[in-house]
Amino acid sequence: MFFRKYGDIITGLFYAVLGAVVIYLAGLLPKSRVMKIGPDFMPLVIGSIILVLALMLLFSAVKNFKANSAKAEAAGPDTADYKRVLASLVLVVIYVNILAPVGFIISTLGYLFLQIIVLAPNDRRSAKNILTYAIIDVVFVFAVFFLFRYGFKIVLPAGIFSL
Amino acid sequence: MGALSQLGAAALRVCEPTSLLLMIAGVTIGIIFGSIPGLSASMAVALMLPLTFSMSSSLGMNVLVAVYIGGISGGLISAILLNMPGTASSIATTFDGYPMAQKGEAMKALGVGIVFSFLGSIFSFVILTFFAPWLADVALKFAAPDNFGICFFALTMVAVLSSGNMVKGLLAGMLGLVFALVGLAPIDGTARFTFGIPEMRGGFNTLTTLIGIFAVADILVSAETIGKGIKTIPVKKVKGFGFSVAEFFRWIPGAIRAALIGTGIGILPGIGGSTSGMLAYVTAKNMSSHPETFGQGDPEGIVATECANNATIGGAMIPLLVLGIPGDGVTAMMLGGFLIHGLSAGPLLFVKNADVVYGIFAACMICALIMLIVEWTCIKAFVQVLKVPKHVLLPLILVLCAVGAYATNNRIFDVQSIVVFGVIGYLYHKFRLPTTPFVLCFLIGRMTEEYLRRGLMRFKTFGAFFSRPIFCVFFAIAVAVILWSLYKEVKASRASK
Repeated sequence: MFFRKYGDIITGLFYAVLGAVVIYLAGLLPKSRVMKIGPDFMPLVIGSIILVLALMLLFSAVKNFKANSAKAEAAGPDTADYKRVLASLVLVVIYVNILAPVGFIISTLGYLFLQIIVLAPNDRRSAKNILTYAIIDVVFVFAVFFLFRYGFKIVLPAGIFSL
Repeated sequence: MGALSQLGAAALRVCEPTSLLLMIAGVTIGIIFGSIPGLSASMAVALMLPLTFSMSSSLGMNVLVAVYIGGISGGLISAILLNMPGTASSIATTFDGYPMAQKGEAMKALGVGIVFSFLGSIFSFVILTFFAPWLADVALKFAAPDNFGICFFALTMVAVLSSGNMVKGLLAGMLGLVFALVGLAPIDGTARFTFGIPEMRGGFNTLTTLIGIFAVADILVSAETIGKGIKTIPVKKVKGFGFSVAEFFRWIPGAIRAALIGTGIGILPGIGGSTSGMLAYVTAKNMSSHPETFGQGDPEGIVATECANNATIGGAMIPLLVLGIPGDGVTAMMLGGFLIHGLSAGPLLFVKNADVVYGIFAACMICALIMLIVEWTCIKAFVQVLKVPKHVLLPLILVLCAVGAYATNNRIFDVQSIVVFGVIGYLYHKFRLPTTPFVLCFLIGRMTEEYLRRGLMRFKTFGAFFSRPIFCVFFAIAVAVILWSLYKEVKASRASK
C-alpha cells in the first residue's frame, strides 16, 4: 500500500534530486575548447529534462494524492514477503563481493545452496528437500566450473583454490 | 561467372560432410551461448576463433558465421521461457514471448520465434548476396548527422513505449541515459561521473546491465511471492511449429517490414540488433489494428522482433565484407577471423577471394536452415526448463549470469554492477516504472551523443544537419512520433476524467 500511495511522490522527489545532481556535476566538467558542445552538454540536457519531468510528476502526484490514496487503500495491504527479498539481496551482495577473493567454487557452493533455501517455500524445506538442493548445488557448481574452465577456456576466479 | 552460379558452386563446397558437421556444431554452440543469459554471440565467436586456425580460410569463416547465426537466434529461448534475454538482440522478444509462455503457449512462442528468425535471416542473406556492393555504397552515404537522426528517432520510441503514463516512462528512460553517460566521454575522452573509480572509466557493460535489470531483479521480485507456494506453468502441446497456415500468412506483411528494418539497421555500423528488434517491435505495435494485445502475449510481437534481429546479421555482414567495417562486437571478431586467415575484408575481397565470399553467402543460408532444424528439434527439451521449480531455477541462472558477467571482461566490477542494476530493476517494479525505456535509453544514449558530437565536429552547427535529407527524414519522423504520442496521451487523460 505504501508504494501505491506514496510511490509517485517518492519517484518525483528522487528524480528531482537526481536531475539537480546531474546538472551540478555537469557544471564541474570541463568545457570543450575545440567545438561548441563539450562533455558537459549531454549531462546538462539530460539533467534539465529529468528536473522538468520530475516536477511534472510531483505536481500530478500531489494533485491526485487523495484519489491515489483511495485506490491504494482499496487495493488492500501489501502482502510481499520482504524478508525473503532482503535475504536474497544480502546473499547476492555477499556473493559478488567474495567471488574474487574466495574463488568461484567455494563462494558459489555457499551462495547457491543458501539462495535456494531462502527462496524455497516453507513446505519445500524438509531434510529430504535440503539434501536434494545440496546435491544440485554441488553437481551444478562443478559442472559449470569444468565446462567454463576446460570447455570454454574461460578462467573463473580461483581464489584460494587453483585448479 | 554470375552470382547465382558462384553461389551454387560455393553451396556444393559448403555442403561437404566435414564442413556441414562443423557448421552444425558451430550453430549448436552459438545457440547454447545465445540462450544462456550472460553469455553472448561475440563471446562464442571469440571462443571459436582460435579453433579455426587450422582450418582453411573458407571453412574457418563458415564456422564463425555458424556460431554468429546460432548466437543471435539462441537469445529467444531464454527470453521466452525465463523473461531474460539471452542476448541484447532479444530484449523485445520478452515482451510477448514471456506472457505467452505464462499462458501455457511456450511451444507456440518458440515455434513462432524460430520460424521467423529463420525467415529474417534468409531475407537478409538474399539481400546480402545480391545487393551487398550497392547497399555498402548507400551505407557510406550515411554521415554522423544521419546516424544521429536514427538514434534520436529510436529514442523517441520511449514515448511510444510509455503510452499510458508518459511522464513516468520518460523518467524511467532518463535514468538509463544517466548510466550511459558514465565513463569516458565520446570524442574528447573526458572522464564523466566515474568518481575516481578506474573501472568506471570504461562505462557500464551492456550485458551486465541486462543481466541486472532482468535476472537479478527477477530473483528479488520472485522472492516477494515465492513463499506462497509453487505455481506450475502448463505447457500446451502443439503440432508442427504451433501456428496455422492462415496465421503464418497473416504475419507475413509484418515480417517483411521487420526484416527490412533489421537489414537496414544492420547495414549501418554501430547501431545493432538490439535497436532493430526494439524498433521493429514498436513499429509493429503502432501499425497493428490491435496494439492493446502487444505485451500481453501477441505472437506478432515475436514475429517483428525475431525477424528484425536476425535480419540484422545479413545487414551487418554488408559493411564488414564490402568495406571492412565491423558494425558491432561480433562482426569485429569476424574481422579478426579474416585477418587470422590472411584475408583482407573490403572491396578487394570480392575480386581476390570471391570463393570465400560466396562460401560465406552460401554458409549463411545453410546455417539459417541448420538453426531452424536444431532449434525445432530441441523445442521439447527447451520447455523442460519450465518444469524446474523457480526457487531452484532462478539461483542457477544467477550463477550463470555472474559467470557470464565476469567472462565479458575478466573483471569483478562487472559482476558487482549486476547487483546495482538488479536493485534498480526491483525498485522500478515497486514504483511501477517500466524497465524497457531504461534499457532502450541505456543502449542508444551513448551512440546518440557520439554521433551528435561527431556531426557537430564536421558540420559545425546543428542547423547544418538539416542540409542532409536522410537526417531530415528521420528527424521529421521522430517529431511526428513525439507529437502523435503526446496527442494520444492527452486524449487518453481526458477520456479517463
